Amino acid sequence: MNLVLEIQGVSKRFRTQRNRPATLKELLIQRLNGRYPTAAGEHWALREVSVSLEKGRSLGIIGHNGAGKSTLLRLICGLGRPTTGTIQYWGQIGSLLELGSGFQPEMTGRENLLTGGILGGLSRREVEAIQDDIIAFAELEEFIDQPVRTYSSGMYLRLAFATVTHFDPDFIIIDELLAVGDSRFSQKCLDRLKSFRMAGKSLLIVSHDLDQIRASCDEVLVLEEGRTLMRGDPESAIRAYYDVMRQRTEKRQAKIGVADQPIAPVQQGKRYGTQEASITAVRLFDGEDRMTDHIYAGSPLTVELEYLRLNTVYDMACLVGIFNENDTKCFQTFIPSVQTASGKLSERGSIRCRLPQVPLVPARYYIDVGLFPPDWSFVYDHHQAMHTLHVMNENGIVADVSGVLMVHPDWAVRPLDPS
Amino acid sequence: MSARTHQLDLIINLARRNLSLQFRGSFLGLLWALLLPVIQLIVFVFLFQRVVPLGIENYPAFVYTALLPWNWFSASILSAGDLFFVHRGLVRTPNFTPSTLALVAALTNLLKYLVALPIIFVLVAISGRAITWTVLLLPFIMLIQGTLIVGLSLFIATWNVFYRDVQQIAGVAVMLWFYLTPVFYSLENVGREYRILFMLNPMAGLVQSYRAILYEGTVPDWSGLLVASAIAVAALGIGYLSYRRMIEEVYDFL
Repeated sequence: MNLVLEIQGVSKRFRTQRNRPATLKELLIQRLNGRYPTAAGEHWALREVSVSLEKGRSLGIIGHNGAGKSTLLRLICGLGRPTTGTIQYWGQIGSLLELGSGFQPEMTGRENLLTGGILGGLSRREVEAIQDDIIAFAELEEFIDQPVRTYSSGMYLRLAFATVTHFDPDFIIIDELLAVGDSRFSQKCLDRLKSFRMAGKSLLIVSHDLDQIRASCDEVLVLEEGRTLMRGDPESAIRAYYDVMRQRTEKRQAKIGVADQPIAPVQQGKRYGTQEASITAVRLFDGEDRMTDHIYAGSPLTVELEYLRLNTVYDMACLVGIFNENDTKCFQTFIPSVQTASGKLSERGSIRCRLPQVPLVPARYYIDVGLFPPDWSFVYDHHQAMHTLHVMNENGIVADVSGVLMVHPDWAVRPLDPS
Repeated sequence: MSARTHQLDLIINLARRNLSLQFRGSFLGLLWALLLPVIQLIVFVFLFQRVVPLGIENYPAFVYTALLPWNWFSASILSAGDLFFVHRGLVRTPNFTPSTLALVAALTNLLKYLVALPIIFVLVAISGRAITWTVLLLPFIMLIQGTLIVGLSLFIATWNVFYRDVQQIAGVAVMLWFYLTPVFYSLENVGREYRILFMLNPMAGLVQSYRAILYEGTVPDWSGLLVASAIAVAALGIGYLSYRRMIEEVYDFL
């Protein structure tokens, strides 16, 4: 085995000392009064986590907020020592953790690039040899000699990403690499990471984007409250992740016991959640704003949901998706914070999501709606396959198409010139 | 490339970066490193040759030889408290050893010293004295002072993360320390009964040594230099041990 990283039984304890003196005066006063800081508050951010990463493989780490992902990454980067256990790595780490945090705002892009390169393990001369490639990749030719404080956040991230990935590290640590500049550039980044793996380098990815994890990881570690919940292939890991979400929801539901208000029995599909914020009605509208559950392929659709919230719920994320009969996700969107989108939440309200076009192949679909706390750590209310949407063909004739996406094909068959 | 040359590359790059940051955007740039000690010199000469004459001959050369090392020392110590805060991004970079920052800061301030150094030779020449071979001992004395600075900086930088008073105390200490170091006066002005106080002050020993090799052209008083070396090594030891003991908590704290 050709390991690049080996983590064995790592635990990390943070002491949250109460009465910890911030100045010497406070220290003296405490000591004179015979009081000592009580180490009462102990917080185990990680407990007995073991994982290893082989050369050329990529490992994903998922888990809810506070599961210990960031702590683990920081320990791997050498920021802090594990309370127990060992972390060993072979080779040079490239960290996309806190992208660009080592940049000095007053210095130009070029100077920061040089410092970044030397920090990344190269000599001054080696950095100078490849700096043009980096500048070209970051598409910053015009701005490279400006101080980085004048950069937009996109330019900043582009430079940081280009800098780290060009220094030929043996493995790269990525924390939530989702939005580096525009979508074209982020595709470029993903391509670069892919070519990295092709070159036999290893990746360590932490992300909330489960689709990205599914697409780019060989193996996934699921953390829950600092412990390893499971380690395995992406599909089963993601299932485990959802199971945790369900368990948390059930635990919370039992604790707060909101479910005393009667919930309408579910006719089809599944519904679960703590009901702290509850979806009381879901209505679908067509392009003419008529309430219906039938739309034509390619025509507009509006999904409206009404909610009722408890006054303990200050903010929530709202999810709307379309699934087909095989439970394949055809479309999904969400707003991370309803409060940011609309201001203070009223006790009852409605949320509308208008889709200008729904180019789906005529069939039966299910509208999936959900309300979640902003950190997505459990579920307020999730309706799965409860609401039906029929997509019909405009002309009433079913064309010879299959799949998910409805596109009108236009065939042309022509003999080629014999010459 | 070996780890050591790489570390050197890093230190030089960071020191250059710090130096250019300090003077960036100013019209005179690095010239300030030359101007500031000259302005200080003019004030000292006015004060102690005209207002309260100390009766020291060749006073400009006398003061200037001590002023530069003192500035190196005080600038480093005064900025040491912020070292880990200001460079938080660097501290959190993988494979970066935070203690490097103390070395870089000392080196940055040393570079300012070196920029202002040629004026000494001008002043000594004006005073009619010759520069002798003893000037070759300069790197050796600088090494002792550098050790002292790095040790104290590490100590201050580390503990200031936990107790912000450390920086305040260091500020007051440096101010008082200045008056207890023979920068603008001569040790000969000091009564015998107080000499022991100056014997134990490593900066006094260092300043006297600089003065000996640059201005008087004599070999420094070895006993003073020996005491200074011992204290410098002790400071480095204590500073590094505090740093080693506390660095993991520094990471958690920052």
